[in-house]
Amino acid sequence: MSNLNNQLVKQETAEVARGIRLLLAKPLLTASTDEDAFDLVRRRRDPITQWFDYYCGWRAFVEPRLGYARLSKVTDRPDSSRPVRRLRSSRAPFDRRRYTLLCVAAAELLTTPVTTIGLLADRMVQATAAEPELPTFDPTRRDERSAYVDSLKWLERCGAIRPVDGSTESYLDHADAKVLYHVDATLLVRLLAAPVPPSRLAEPELTALLAESRYGDAADPDAAVSENQRNLWLRHSVMRRLIDDPVVYRAELTPAQLGYLASPTGRRIITRGIVQAGCVLEERSDGYLVVDPDAIATDTKFPDDGSHPKVSALLLLDRLNETGDWLPVGDLALVAAELLDRFRSWGKAYRSDGGAQRLAQDAVDILCAFGLAEQRADGATRSLPAAARYAVERIQIDEPGPR
Amino acid sequence: MFVFTTTERADLHTAALYAFGEANERLETALTFDDVHARLRSVGWFEPVSDEELDATLSRLRQWGHVDVVQNHAAHYTTAEDYERKNLQYLLTKRGEAAFEGVQHALSVLASSGALQTAVLDAIAERLGELHSLMGAGVASNRRIYTTLMELEGHLDALRTNTKQFNSELQRLLRADQPDLATFQEVKRATVGYLQEFVTNLDQRRHTIREAVALVEDQGIDALHQRAMAGAELPKLTSEDPEAAWLRHRAAKWAGLRSWFRPVDGTAPRVDELQDIARRAIVQLLRALERMSDVRRRSTSAAADFRTLAKWFAASRSEPEAHQLFNAAFGMWPARHAHLAHEDAELISSAESWAQAPPVPISPLLRTSGRIERIARTGKVRDVEEVRRLRRERARQERAELEAAWRQLATPGPVRLSCIGRLDHASFHRLLELIGRALIARQDSAGVRRAMTSDGRVEITLRSPHDAATATLRTPHGVFTGPDFVVDIRTTGARSQAEEAR
Repeated sequence: MSNLNNQLVKQETAEVARGIRLLLAKPLLTASTDEDAFDLVRRRRDPITQWFDYYCGWRAFVEPRLGYARLSKVTDRPDSSRPVRRLRSSRAPFDRRRYTLLCVAAAELLTTPVTTIGLLADRMVQATAAEPELPTFDPTRRDERSAYVDSLKWLERCGAIRPVDGSTESYLDHADAKVLYHVDATLLVRLLAAPVPPSRLAEPELTALLAESRYGDAADPDAAVSENQRNLWLRHSVMRRLIDDPVVYRAELTPAQLGYLASPTGRRIITRGIVQAGCVLEERSDGYLVVDPDAIATDTKFPDDGSHPKVSALLLLDRLNETGDWLPVGDLALVAAELLDRFRSWGKAYRSDGGAQRLAQDAVDILCAFGLAEQRADGATRSLPAAARYAVERIQIDEPGPR
Repeated sequence: MFVFTTTERADLHTAALYAFGEANERLETALTFDDVHARLRSVGWFEPVSDEELDATLSRLRQWGHVDVVQNHAAHYTTAEDYERKNLQYLLTKRGEAAFEGVQHALSVLASSGALQTAVLDAIAERLGELHSLMGAGVASNRRIYTTLMELEGHLDALRTNTKQFNSELQRLLRADQPDLATFQEVKRATVGYLQEFVTNLDQRRHTIREAVALVEDQGIDALHQRAMAGAELPKLTSEDPEAAWLRHRAAKWAGLRSWFRPVDGTAPRVDELQDIARRAIVQLLRALERMSDVRRRSTSAAADFRTLAKWFAASRSEPEAHQLFNAAFGMWPARHAHLAHEDAELISSAESWAQAPPVPISPLLRTSGRIERIARTGKVRDVEEVRRLRRERARQERAELEAAWRQLATPGPVRLSCIGRLDHASFHRLLELIGRALIARQDSAGVRRAMTSDGRVEITLRSPHDAATATLRTPHGVFTGPDFVVDIRTTGARSQAEEAR
């Protein structure tokens, strides 16, 4: 093969790997927010959609002309540590009210191609008043308007609504602000990824919502399902966890899944898929971990100096690794207090009353989110096996001999 | 005035006031202590009340100015005790009456519901018509004019309060989140029917009233009021003249009538507003009804999915649960991975545990100073073609300069340095370099030093002068003086040429 062909194949492999990871990090990739990324996914859409379909059983839609790519992720273990965040200053996670208003707004937006922020609010007031189970939306209150604006901003970022005139934030200050929106109904519908439409269920039941008929009862080891279905389920369920979660411990996998990972075929398929995504599979006797060396397919990094809690998390992890046992809340706070003493330059956020406790808790949250530690109900925390990856390296220092 | 409703014994105070009110209606104006005690039962106060309590109550009411005390000397007393109990008589002051009325009114407002009555509109039109015909009749009809006018005003008041109440109830209904869907729907449906009924003939009724108002006004409002006053036969109870105040009142009421149906200054009559409100309410109620039946239909469209999800979110018990629900329904979470890896992962066996395997390298700075070294972004790769071309160009030029310098320096045979005389700067540098090379070389037996340039193209032989003569060389930048060596400089290529020439 000529040199040029080699180069082209290499470039394609690299780009496909990058595209897969871009979609993993942002299941809705729009041209307006990230043009380069969307362009790459658009160019390599066929291998990328095939990869997701084969390895994860996830559908990826790439709409070159509409300017978005959407990966419909499905899991049987929805995570609560990766919430939607507000797009305004604080970046705090959405609360229940914001989620509720987001859904009400989406339902109302579906009925009209063009609307204004005030008309939409009116319709939402009527819609919530007609539903006895929903607290009535009250745009005269500032906190309600703030929640409303946050949910609209999120839809705006998704590209489901496009402000043609005016800015959404202006609604915060006065409820008669004029903002004109164009609504993209197809994208709105694409936002829903649950395999079972929620309106078909009588009550909020996550397992029922996430039931995927294509696998049958393959998850149940005693159920009689075809070999194909079982294999499909094994491949998809294992790959989904590996490619999406920071750490997968053996203890969390079923015997069937472990068997698949141990079998030559299963192993080969999984390793190949992960390499194609540009990642590295780290396999240890206690679990599996996928490393993305370029940190593309991740919402946050650890270890990292991105924030004070992150730095604290690493140092706290050192202490947890040393102890190797449950560390009570008081001790965690002590470590945090030491850190606050050591890093004098750290801002005011943790300097007030109870700052050390809050810092300790934020750090523990990060560790838990990365599968490196677990916390009991009483707040005591201990490290999990993968934490040893970040243990302090013991450097051999030669004893200075006599000269 | 209403302070009695806010104290801790408000219930007893109110009951006592009620007792007075009741008595007043039966035209009993003064009550003794025992009377009050007895009447408490008749107004619905069944708890036992001690004499002290009632005494305290009455004195408080007195203090607030609701009740007055007079002594009754006219009665017949048989014992001292009797005298003490019956001598004092309590009667309601005007303030007390007003307070009692106020409370009653407040209660009636709470209990009543507003309505839009077409009957009232009809009654207004009829009364106006009646007034019109009465005005044409003789003086004897003054009393009739008075009562008719009072009726008219009564109807107008009823219209106003009813409408006000109905409107506020309507707005409450539009906002209401009624728990019981079925009755809610019932109520809304009924309300829509009611409003439609009302609006249907409103135009016609309004027109009739407008005409009637015009007819009455043609005959003169002042005259009408004067005749009504004559029919009213006002008593003169105080020193003030009641007639002026009475007339002022009538004028105000008439203005109110006009603003409802035929405003003077050309603004929209209030009855039109009424119509607007009714029409808008109908539309809104119908929309709410439509939405409710929509919900009932449970269509499996995306909008229904979103609505269902909204309900689930509202019902979720905690924030983490809501996050889970969102991720399950929207599949929008980002992946999360480690980014630090071993340099050569294949060196570590997969049978080892994480605890046994060496840790991944972490920047030591992160632990000590809380920072990671920032590696700046790689610079753009330059286009080297241009650089190469420039370098080639420069090399060629340098070569040419060098050649020129050597040519300039090459001597036909051994010459004294002083013979060279003038040189350009570059050639002078070459010369110095050559002499320098020659000077560090060893002197041979003949006292000659030989040296070559590093590329071997130029050779110099140098002999120290026997005399102490100095040579002077001039360059554009200055003058050089030094020992007047005998030098022979040849380029190796040039030497052969020179030899050939020789």
